[in-house]
Amino acid sequence: MPILEIDNMTKVYEGKVTHRAINQLSFTVEEGEFLAIMGPSGSGKTTLLNMISTVDEPTSGTILMKGVDPHQLPENELAYFRRRELGFVFQNFNLLQTLTVEENIVLPLTLDNQSVDEMEKRLTMITERLSLTQILHKRPNEISGGQAQRTAIGRALIHRPSLILADEPTGNLDSNTSKDVLELLMQVNQEQKTTIVMVTHDPIAASYCDRVLFIKDGEFFNEIHKDDRRQMFFQRILNVLSLLGGGQVGDLSTIRLP
Amino acid sequence: MTFRQFAYRNVIRNGRIYAAFFMASCFSVSVFFIYSMLMFHPDLGKGILGDVSIVGMAGAEVILVLFTLFFLFYSMSAFLAARSREFGILLHLGMERRQLNRLIFRETMLIGVTSIIIGMIFGFSFSKFFFMIVREMLQLDSLPLYLAWQPFLLTLGVFFSAFMMISYVSVSFSKEHKVLDLLRGVDQVEAVTPYSKARGIKGFVYIILAYLLAMLAPHVNFLVTLIVFIPILVTFGTYYFFSDTILLILAIIRKQRKLNWKRYRLLAIAEQTHIMKNNAKMFFVVTMVSTLAFLSVGVLAAMSSYTTQYNLVNPMGLIYKGDANNPYEKEHINSLLNQLEERGLSYHLTRFDVVKQTSTATNRQVEVLRESDINRLLYSNNYPIVSLAKGEGMFIPNTEEDLKILKNKRVETVLQENDIPITIDRVYPRVIFPKAIISVNAIIISDEDFEKLWYITSNPHIKQPVYHLFTFDINRWVETKDIRLEPDPYEGVFNEEAPYYLENAGLNYSYIVATYSLFTLVGLLVATVFLLASGSFIYFKLHAALERNQQQFEVLQRMGLSDYEMKKLVNRYLFPQFFVPWGLALLHCTFVFAALQVFLKDLINISIAKEVILAFSFLVLIQVVYFYLIRWRYLSHMRP
Repeated sequence: MPILEIDNMTKVYEGKVTHRAINQLSFTVEEGEFLAIMGPSGSGKTTLLNMISTVDEPTSGTILMKGVDPHQLPENELAYFRRRELGFVFQNFNLLQTLTVEENIVLPLTLDNQSVDEMEKRLTMITERLSLTQILHKRPNEISGGQAQRTAIGRALIHRPSLILADEPTGNLDSNTSKDVLELLMQVNQEQKTTIVMVTHDPIAASYCDRVLFIKDGEFFNEIHKDDRRQMFFQRILNVLSLLGGGQVGDLSTIRLP
Repeated sequence: MTFRQFAYRNVIRNGRIYAAFFMASCFSVSVFFIYSMLMFHPDLGKGILGDVSIVGMAGAEVILVLFTLFFLFYSMSAFLAARSREFGILLHLGMERRQLNRLIFRETMLIGVTSIIIGMIFGFSFSKFFFMIVREMLQLDSLPLYLAWQPFLLTLGVFFSAFMMISYVSVSFSKEHKVLDLLRGVDQVEAVTPYSKARGIKGFVYIILAYLLAMLAPHVNFLVTLIVFIPILVTFGTYYFFSDTILLILAIIRKQRKLNWKRYRLLAIAEQTHIMKNNAKMFFVVTMVSTLAFLSVGVLAAMSSYTTQYNLVNPMGLIYKGDANNPYEKEHINSLLNQLEERGLSYHLTRFDVVKQTSTATNRQVEVLRESDINRLLYSNNYPIVSLAKGEGMFIPNTEEDLKILKNKRVETVLQENDIPITIDRVYPRVIFPKAIISVNAIIISDEDFEKLWYITSNPHIKQPVYHLFTFDINRWVETKDIRLEPDPYEGVFNEEAPYYLENAGLNYSYIVATYSLFTLVGLLVATVFLLASGSFIYFKLHAALERNQQQFEVLQRMGLSDYEMKKLVNRYLFPQFFVPWGLALLHCTFVFAALQVFLKDLINISIAKEVILAFSFLVLIQVVYFYLIRWRYLSHMRP
């Protein structure tokens, strides 16, 4: 059953220079899927993610999440929808500097007015899984990048959302920490059947996913599915990327006749 | 583009950011200018403002300048901190520090000079209006507008040097930071919040101790020690309160998950910790200034209540009191009558004989007045007439307070010397004489009984066994202030040896009005400055934290914070900043006035509670308006 259905979505930024960021894009995400969205800079990845996270509205086309169009919801309902159904992981972590690690993690629950017992229960579960128990009382600027991103993942997971949106989660991390974070996301996806949509530049990060969707200039370009072996999958991603980035190559491929 | 053009364009194109700072500067300049206009007013030397001393006003101006300096410096540094990224980029592009300093200096001077000019124009155009208010308030005949070079020169000199100083000092700001820090922004959150538990407790204890002392002050004799001691305690207590006590309380709350993990509280408390830690000094200054402003407004209100009640307490214009053997009596009364006639003041003269007797009921002296004497006075004053039968007596209340006590009192007594039995069972329903004239124990008896007072008291403790009272009931009593006794060999009203005494309500009133006007002017000044400052401080501080807060709210909105919830959260961010310093200042003042109320009641018997509460509610109202205004600006910055 698809958890996210995007149909013919178009986003046009009006202004002095009209800019079409997304052009008639359609795709679906199945429940429990780990999807990566790749594309060169300016291809509309972040715009797409903003629209899925409902902070931005499409000019035309529809988004259905669990059969509901969040953009049709009244403002307060929309906020509640975001708070309960979505989790976010950002490139620069976006932890609140004034809060400690544990406070950052429980933040979504406090906003939703949960009981302290419940919060503590979930906090222990999550922190043990993410091995954050040692640093619970530290501030975000006292911990390493990997720890910060794990904290952010904790914050995205604690309210058990149906969809996690990750925007370049490894963009600020070194290769080893990146690997840890990606494996963690993969584990979460497999064990809890949490659906994850991740926007990334990094082919290695994309290779951890079930499926990779490529977009270029706001349009659908290609999509490939996971292999048995991650190495092979990585290779195929690179191939598509070379097509995608090559400009000329891409143009040629579209006019090739059978 | 030359360097000068660059600085100029920076200011012009950053207009919106500069606007707040510019307006604040303009406002300080014009307030200062208006006061200088008053201070240099040519009529002031002629004593048109009563006895308002120029020294008092000059003192107020000095305080104003010092505070403005602090305020401008604070605004400037908050403002530079908000622009740190811009400076970072300039340094990154290869600008020398020296050049950057020159840039900041030029920009500040540009704003400074412009705001001095605009402020003076603005101030001058409003000084007529201000003079009108002052004239109305001090009941002067006229206070004309004038044009002189002194106020302009003073304002220019003071503020030019102030801006020079601020530019130099704020230039040193950029030296402390590295380019990278500037690029990141200055408002970084530090890892740990340092505070000292001991000082936190000290702050709390000092304030409580000061309050206790203030409550005790009117009841003990070492008043002077307390007047010195309490402000010191309060000052230190307030400082520790903001630097440590609040942080201590917040830290304790943060440790209690049950208390802390509640909806908006988690974020609000964390934010407050950050705000308090970074702005303890500012909050301290705001609190102390607010306390001063509140005090002056409160004193003002009290004074105005005193002046309006003055006529009630002193219904007579002039009262002359003399011993039976006073050799100057005739001469004095004649001179008083002449002086009154010279001034064309109509009067109604009543003469009293007051006899002192010993009462058997209390074994103390009692002053006895005759019924027909007092009735003549009462008649001319349109007060109710007294009618007493033989053997009846009536109390004369000294104060409103007495009136309540004596109302239901009944005394059976005998005037010992002449063996006349009197039953005193009522009190005259109004205060007739001011306090200094007749003693606490004064009664009216019927003419019949009064005739029988043959024997004068032989009690050696009683001075002036018989004295004469001359009361002048004057309608235009305010105009009697220069009436003097001639000749006056004992010089002055407070000479115990003198066989005579003159109570001049008009003169007393003129002293009060003069003090009142001084307080009015100083109080107005302080209140204006405080209005300017307390809101603006917070505004500039918010400006510095804007970027971090914007980022924070963006994250929260993504996480699903509705607009309504955001407003709630912003309320919780802003509310303590506005109302904790204010609340503490109000609390300080409440205790001062509570003490003062008790003290004043003993002294002049007026109640200031009503006026003070009224003035304070007005101030609170203004602060609430300020709060909503700034919240509105803040929200408009925070919304995407």
